[in-house]
Amino acid sequence: MKKILIALVAVLIIVTASVSLVACNNSKSDYEYIKNKGTLVCGITLYEPMNYADDEGEMTGFDTEFAQAVCEKLGIEAKFQVIKWSSKETELNSKYIDCIWNGFTVTEERKQNLDFSQSYLSNKQCVVTKADAVATYTSAAACAGKRAAAEQGSAGETAANELTTTVTAVAAQMTALTEVKSGNVDFAVVDIVLANQIVGSGDYANLAIATGIDLAGEEYAIGFRKGSDMVEKVNAVIKELLESGKLEEIATKYGLQGQLVK
Amino acid sequence: MSFANVTLELLSGFGMTCLLFILTLAFALPLGLIICFGSMTKFKPVRYIVRGFVWIIRGTPLMLQLFVVFYVPGMVFNTPIFAPFGDYGRFVAALIAFVINYACYFSEIYRGGIESISKGQYEAGQVLGMTKGQIFFKIVLKQVIKNIVPPMSNEIITLVKDTSLARVIAVADIIFKAEEILSLKALIWPLFYAGAFYLIFNGLLTLLFRRTEKSLSYFHS
Repeated sequence: MKKILIALVAVLIIVTASVSLVACNNSKSDYEYIKNKGTLVCGITLYEPMNYADDEGEMTGFDTEFAQAVCEKLGIEAKFQVIKWSSKETELNSKYIDCIWNGFTVTEERKQNLDFSQSYLSNKQCVVTKADAVATYTSAAACAGKRAAAEQGSAGETAANELTTTVTAVAAQMTALTEVKSGNVDFAVVDIVLANQIVGSGDYANLAIATGIDLAGEEYAIGFRKGSDMVEKVNAVIKELLESGKLEEIATKYGLQGQLVK
Repeated sequence: MSFANVTLELLSGFGMTCLLFILTLAFALPLGLIICFGSMTKFKPVRYIVRGFVWIIRGTPLMLQLFVVFYVPGMVFNTPIFAPFGDYGRFVAALIAFVINYACYFSEIYRGGIESISKGQYEAGQVLGMTKGQIFFKIVLKQVIKNIVPPMSNEIITLVKDTSLARVIAVADIIFKAEEILSLKALIWPLFYAGAFYLIFNGLLTLLFRRTEKSLSYFHS
């Protein structure tokens, strides 16, 4: 009994020690840290039209070119690190990446744990169902009582919860679409940028977007570590790129000019 | 995306899977034996520490251990220790987590094997005037190896499939690649195709273990 008690106390001491260590933050400015190493590591997942490899294997996409343009102005190099999307905050706080720059939706919950740049693209969530059932999804009311799937912690999950009561939270947006395809749920709520790319193609050919349902809009921004001074530096450059028309030029290249936030 | 392109893409991921598997095995097999000695030693403090360590590693999910090895140094000490390895940082972190985890499982298999050897074997060695080291390496260990082949093969086959867990820290293994094709090209079948790679690899391993068992069954020939 005594031994177990001692072991428990030891575990407690270790846990409190590590928590207090986490609490004391390094005071050095985030901008200086990034400037010193000369690279801004952007956490991404590969997806069109944001970050993807072209036919020659070169990184391209709207967010890729945008990040390169911003870094050029700051005199640093943009590096792209493929991450597991569900670990993005952990990647950021353990400093393996310096920002999340991958069609990252601004939400109130996320604002509590990280700082956002100004928004640069507007995005919407949309309802995706099987193509032969899409005609019945004419309004938000038609979704009530149906089974839904959405990515865990995503803006889509919030929207799905407003539409119906049975929502399955899955690991990725693609999994939500697979849920619909396999008939486990009736509809999925995902980003319209992603849905436009995926729905109706490849193995998801028999899915369709319910165009009659208008869900609340949202915005994409770049996520930085909480309290990072990179936010103002990057915001100043974004403003510059907007004024010179450079950002609009990149957006037009990927067909996103209509969604640009000015 | 054609079948050939998918195959090439998956093969690049499978290379990572195989490398992680082989290196984990190469380091965890000897480390397991050292941990096993630690958990059997008569020196109590070492024994309790080693057994406590094995309890923690076997008692928590491997996925969490991958997280702890890769992310915690950066979060607690503000230094991402695997960053200097560049593109291999994630792989090295995964390798460390896998080696520690599997060494602990192997150590228990070794312990079972060593404890199954009867006292008479040691006594026979002593009668023949052998030293403790000679008794262990020339008499005990050889019988242990023969006895632990079935449980070891079980664990090793599990390792082949467990390597896919490394994708939680974005190690580009075969499943990671298949998921990437899924989100880029909207193709589901590469995921099942990836399963075939594991199946064939484990089929070969099973044959290898059967042959090993046969060649070691010198009492039943």
